[in-house]
Amino acid sequence: MSTLYFANGGLLWLLPLALLPLVFFGVRRFDYPGLEDFPADAVSDWLRRGISLLGGLMLACLLLAAASPFTEGGSETRVGEGAEIVVVLDRSGSMSEGLKGREYNRQDAEAGKSDTHFLSKIEAARTVLLKFMRQRPADTFGMVAFNAAPISVAPLTNDRELAEAAMLSAQSQSTGFTALGRALALALDYFEGRPHTATRLILLVSDGDALIEPDDQEILRNEFARQRAQLMWIYVRGEREASILDSVIAGDNEIITEADTEYADRKQRASMHEVFGKLGVPYQAFEVESEEGFRNAIAAVARATNKPTRYEYRLPRQDYAGYLYFAATLLLIALAWIKHMEIREWKP
Amino acid sequence: MRQLIHYRINWKPGGYVPGAKRGSAAGIGEQLRALVMLRDNPDPRRLDLRASMRDPFGRLWVRDFYLNTAFKVMVLLDVSASMAYTGQNERMRVARDITEQLAISAYRSGDAFGVFSANGEILKSGMLPAGVNRSSWLWVRRKLGELMPFGDSAAGLLRIVPQLPQRRSLVFVISDFRWPDGRLEQLFRALAHHDVVPVLLQDPAEMSALPRRGFAALRDMETGRARFVWMRAALREKIEAARARHVRTVQQVSRRFGFKPFVVKGAFDPARMNQYFMERRA
Repeated sequence: MSTLYFANGGLLWLLPLALLPLVFFGVRRFDYPGLEDFPADAVSDWLRRGISLLGGLMLACLLLAAASPFTEGGSETRVGEGAEIVVVLDRSGSMSEGLKGREYNRQDAEAGKSDTHFLSKIEAARTVLLKFMRQRPADTFGMVAFNAAPISVAPLTNDRELAEAAMLSAQSQSTGFTALGRALALALDYFEGRPHTATRLILLVSDGDALIEPDDQEILRNEFARQRAQLMWIYVRGEREASILDSVIAGDNEIITEADTEYADRKQRASMHEVFGKLGVPYQAFEVESEEGFRNAIAAVARATNKPTRYEYRLPRQDYAGYLYFAATLLLIALAWIKHMEIREWKP
Repeated sequence: MRQLIHYRINWKPGGYVPGAKRGSAAGIGEQLRALVMLRDNPDPRRLDLRASMRDPFGRLWVRDFYLNTAFKVMVLLDVSASMAYTGQNERMRVARDITEQLAISAYRSGDAFGVFSANGEILKSGMLPAGVNRSSWLWVRRKLGELMPFGDSAAGLLRIVPQLPQRRSLVFVISDFRWPDGRLEQLFRALAHHDVVPVLLQDPAEMSALPRRGFAALRDMETGRARFVWMRAALREKIEAARARHVRTVQQVSRRFGFKPFVVKGAFDPARMNQYFMERRA
């Protein structure tokens, strides 16, 4: 049992008013020349006590109710199902490049002769994400698209049409700069003010062409910790990108002339991987080289988010004023009946 | 002017003031007292011819009568708080009516009339020394109309007794007699040589005309204490029984001193009092 609190505790000072019915009868008083030989009537005396008690109780109830007593509801551990997923979709120019292994025959594809061979990274991502969304009706989706600046495409809602339309509208466009940090911050902002009832997941679909400044890293780390969100990076790997899972400096790229750029590229992506790893939140990275790989990655996401979330649900505080007002009303009805029964005129 | 009260007494008032009732002194009256010789009562109009003729010595005999004497009618009025009770009638108003009517009647009979009022103390403002005064009833009407009863006792009535006339008088004690046990007896003992008419004032509202049912609080006018009552048939019967018992007690105490209380239920009716005086002799 938790402690009882009062919202208007000052009113409790008026509680001695509840003793008033002991002083006053509450019914009309008549003069009588003398009561010394008035017959003793135990029933009347008990009624008097009862009515005083009723009156006192009624006043006490009203005063207590006016003081609005409540107890803190405490918290309860609940198991949440479903997930809140914010898809952070990279729509930078590099995302329009072909998926690894599907890069050939681009001209045919652009001429409309063939659509089975060439598959851009963003297209593949869109298709699979849509399927994923349709498979998971219990989840809540939101979407942020970003290239040079993050765009809040769809807020975190249960409105599926909105989310799907947002997904379909995502087209890549090169602007030369990728605002990954701000996009993640915006995605995290979606969770702001929402009760933590489900697994929170930020699904970053990117090919990793971005840098996060050390200051932003710090901010993101704090935000992730605060929102208790998970991060999954689906690394859409193109033909020319290296694996993020390789060691930092690998010598397996033989193109000497481009050694510097390769190094920088990989360093960049690897650093993103490292940065995410150091965020202190559940983080997983999937490398996706094909649509098949994409599906596998999505399945892994589904597995991760299918785990039930245990969360502390803060119960609303229990307000007792209503019960007290109800009791006071009942007592008032009883007292009104007694008042109705009072003798108004001393005559038969 | 309402009906006069023809109070009657079965004793002979003393004194030599001519009045309406047969006294104990010799004088002009209608009741034969004795035959005396003319030289003792030189009033030839009362000459008893038969007795004079029968006398072998030829003396003249004259009839002697009892003097029709006036006496004093005193009213002792209880003005404690309970007398302010207003039921169907104002109790003080009833007391005033009785006193007023007695004042008129006393003057008509040539008797002296006086009033004393007391609660715990003797009230100077409610005191009229005994005297034959045509306007005494007006005094009663004005003064007793202004008098507000107060106080929780009528003990002052006892202190009036020494101020009453020494000769036997007709004393009306007007009160509701809601007194502590023994107080009535004490007063009657002090008034024993007077002819006392206890006038017991009652009101239907306090005894028989009670509300049928419901809740109320009753306030004792003398002590100020109140009590909660649930009026119902059972309680009504109990109250009526208590009032009847009270009347009985007053009657019993009075009887022990040879008095008979006159009970006023509600308003005062002089005819009832005349009837009372007719019956009282028995």
